[in-house]
Amino acid sequence: MTYVEAILKVLVIGLILGAGLPAVFAVGLVAFSKGSGGDGDGAVVAPNPALKALGLLIFALVAAVVVIAILYITKTTIIHHFGFNPVPFIP
Amino acid sequence: MIILVLLIATALAFDFTNGFHDTGNAMATSIATGALKPKTAVLLAGILNLVGAFLSVEVAVTVTTSVLKVQDSKTGHLLSGIDASMGLTIIFSGLIGGILWNLLTWLFGIPSSSSHALFGGLIGAGIAALGLSGVNWPGVLSKVIIPAFASPFIAGLIAAAGTWLVYRITRRVAKKRREEGFRWGQIITASLVALAHGTGDAQKTMGVIALALITTGHLTGDVKKDGLPFWIIFSCALAIGLGTYIGGWRVIRTLGKGLVEIESPQGFAAEASSAVVILSSSAAGMALSTTQVATGSILGSGVGKPGAQVRWAVAGRMAVAWLVTLPAAALVGALSYWLSYGLKSVTDSQLVGDGVIFLILVGLSGFMYWRAQQQKVDSTNVNADWDDSTNSVVPAEERKAKEAKPTASV
Repeated sequence: MTYVEAILKVLVIGLILGAGLPAVFAVGLVAFSKGSGGDGDGAVVAPNPALKALGLLIFALVAAVVVIAILYITKTTIIHHFGFNPVPFIP
Repeated sequence: MIILVLLIATALAFDFTNGFHDTGNAMATSIATGALKPKTAVLLAGILNLVGAFLSVEVAVTVTTSVLKVQDSKTGHLLSGIDASMGLTIIFSGLIGGILWNLLTWLFGIPSSSSHALFGGLIGAGIAALGLSGVNWPGVLSKVIIPAFASPFIAGLIAAAGTWLVYRITRRVAKKRREEGFRWGQIITASLVALAHGTGDAQKTMGVIALALITTGHLTGDVKKDGLPFWIIFSCALAIGLGTYIGGWRVIRTLGKGLVEIESPQGFAAEASSAVVILSSSAAGMALSTTQVATGSILGSGVGKPGAQVRWAVAGRMAVAWLVTLPAAALVGALSYWLSYGLKSVTDSQLVGDGVIFLILVGLSGFMYWRAQQQKVDSTNVNADWDDSTNSVVPAEERKAKEAKPTASV
């Protein structure tokens, strides 16, 4: 592929994952923080367990994406040593 | 044989300098915000680099074939017309160029690309040995130069977008909670960058050592298919891990404090951007300089946060260093080659030729290390306030303390 294509590809994936994942993480943090009650500075606000759980869920999602990314990078090594593709759902 | 041993030692030394030069790319932002204590950060980065170096099974033959025309790109064997002695001296000189430039930029605390230093050194030595046709110019253009210009901008753009989004989304979260939450995030993204660095950068040295062994006939067969001997992988992994652990504090300081005064959301977004750019570009077949990506990301995170301060003077100095890296390392590589070749012709001994440039390497390296120790930056003062009056990497207190004993300042 020409280098312009490669650069564009990196830019697009980069924006989606490199800016998108932090954004998702940030949403998770907002949910978790709101759900934990109080605002960290001492004000009294009731905690919201559902929101907190949502926050944790989002964190777990981000962690899963990170793990999948690592597996994807080391795909060739894993196939070489263990004989199976850990991320068959990615082209 | 002695020369081969010296060469392998020099290659591992380069790997070591690559390690400490690049520790900052992963860890500077985490150290600057306090997400990780300095020593913990470099230990973590060291381990991850070590692990990462083992994780890549792609043979590193492509590293040296991208810039030089001394190998057959399919099998890795030396092209005819290049004898072992010439091949070894080219590699040796290339490494010397790379190491000396790495040390010089480290002394000044300038984050510069170890990859470009190595490529530059090899290119210079290649030209000195074989003339302009010894260099794979299309390869250099498409695999080194174009990505070098594009990557800091791409990384900067992504980090700026990420930083802006992150601040916008969490604008109503209490500052303390935000800092804490993103500190955890920082540890994860910084670790990713360290891992990515290990998978990519140790390969360079493995490729160089492989080339040296192919040159002397110690490595035969299809290197691409059979992979590299374990001891090469292990020693390169160890060298880069140890180098990373030693810490390159001067570079860490510039990245973490000198460019942008960083908060943890910025650090988080910057490292996330670096990790994604490094990994996706190596998947797309473009080898990038992790330093340029990391620096671009940090600058981007400075731009992305409303009201953040970016020290463009420091950034400018760095950009100049980047432009100069390839030619400067090439010059040192070429000079080393000519010196060795000259001595070899006069004394008819390759050992004298390569031995002398090795000694010069050791001497200059020792000198630069000594200079650095005169005005030390280490884990205790890496986070000291940046000296805005001189923009020197050495903190003002350290500089004043050494003023009694005048040594030329860095």
